[in-house]
Amino acid sequence: MKLKEIIQKTHLEEVYCNDKEVKITNGYTGDLLSDVMGNAPDNSVWVTIQSHVNIIAVASIRDIKAIILCNNLEFDKETIAKARENNISLLSSKYNGFQTIFNLFNAGFEISDR
Amino acid sequence: MFSNSLDELINKLRKYFSYIVVSEIMNQNVFKMKKDRTMWQAKELMRIRKISGVPIVDDSNILIGLVSIEDIIVALENKTIKDKIESHMTKKVVTLSPKENLESVIRKFERYPYGRFPVVTEEKELVGIVTKKDVLRSILERFRMIYVHDERRTKTLERFIEIQEKSLITGEYVKKGHADFAFLINYTDVDMAGMGAAKLKSFLSKKIGDDKLARRISITAYEAEVNVVIHSSSEGFIYCWINEDVIRVRIEDHGKGIENVELALKEGYTTAPDHIRELGFGAGMGLPNMRRYSDKMVVMSEAGKGVVVEMIFYRNGEE
Repeated sequence: MKLKEIIQKTHLEEVYCNDKEVKITNGYTGDLLSDVMGNAPDNSVWVTIQSHVNIIAVASIRDIKAIILCNNLEFDKETIAKARENNISLLSSKYNGFQTIFNLFNAGFEISDR
Repeated sequence: MFSNSLDELINKLRKYFSYIVVSEIMNQNVFKMKKDRTMWQAKELMRIRKISGVPIVDDSNILIGLVSIEDIIVALENKTIKDKIESHMTKKVVTLSPKENLESVIRKFERYPYGRFPVVTEEKELVGIVTKKDVLRSILERFRMIYVHDERRTKTLERFIEIQEKSLITGEYVKKGHADFAFLINYTDVDMAGMGAAKLKSFLSKKIGDDKLARRISITAYEAEVNVVIHSSSEGFIYCWINEDVIRVRIEDHGKGIENVELALKEGYTTAPDHIRELGFGAGMGLPNMRRYSDKMVVMSEAGKGVVVEMIFYRNGEE
């Protein structure tokens, strides 16, 4: 699913978007950085409640395309600045992690790799 | 109470140890900051590192001020905590010179109500910091050193040099000066953790043209780098050597070390404190991830002697 569609169909707020045409083929959820680092698939959207700047390092090393921050939390300023530098899109959700992923499913999101 | 008994002990010992100079007792790993950072960031550094003051330096490491807990309290009260450090730091700082003797250090601790003194050269360059604990530790170390047999000391030193220059996996000599990639890990800023690994990734992608391998290597480097920042309390280095069929990565620090390497290799085992875990670190998966993504790995450490992690990646291997 293209990032553009994800934003439109799942009630997400755009915080910083680099490339809305990018295809998201998989996803991962987790708040422990090393867990995400070790296990997230390529071209993922990452659903989390961590908002500080280190998530950008994880996303860029792991080739995660977009991060959805749940529970209406706000990204740190430095996180947004680093996201710009590293071409990672940032979205914010007013729902919790479970509901956010449920919304993605309802919008027709499919795991399309492997 | 701790402080009182410490004062008493220092008093008793001062005349025997007054020939000790500041450069011998100071802590050279200073948590410092630049003036363009914010008071909030200074507060975070103090909270995470459990320190009560941060020296502020300019680009050439010249001391220009200090942020103390008092400065932070004032900034919180006046709602200036998000401001740049420059306008709210203490500008008149009492300092020590590296050549000053212990007697004079103790007098300064008595005269001023401060818990720490930055150490600066004549040109005001920041080279260390001295707390009461450093004074006590240096005195205790003196006592212990008297008993160390010469021969034993030489042996230890020789072993140290061997570890420093030899590959832990293949036994070849590795020259750090000839590394294809080297990165100094800034352990004073948790926000910067991962910078070195990200740099290594883009460096490798360009150099070897294998994105998957570059990612695999930088994942391991990230974990090792985060460990240095969170656990070591010392500077560290990331080195990478590219050979025809193998890539070698080595991350080393001279900090606290790992007490039980076997335990640290277990998934889920962590010694990270709560305030670090809140940030999502300390999942107990650092070393396990390194083992998982490298082809060969050796960890060497001893409490108080730093950590060396060396990993090898075969260029034609599969993930």
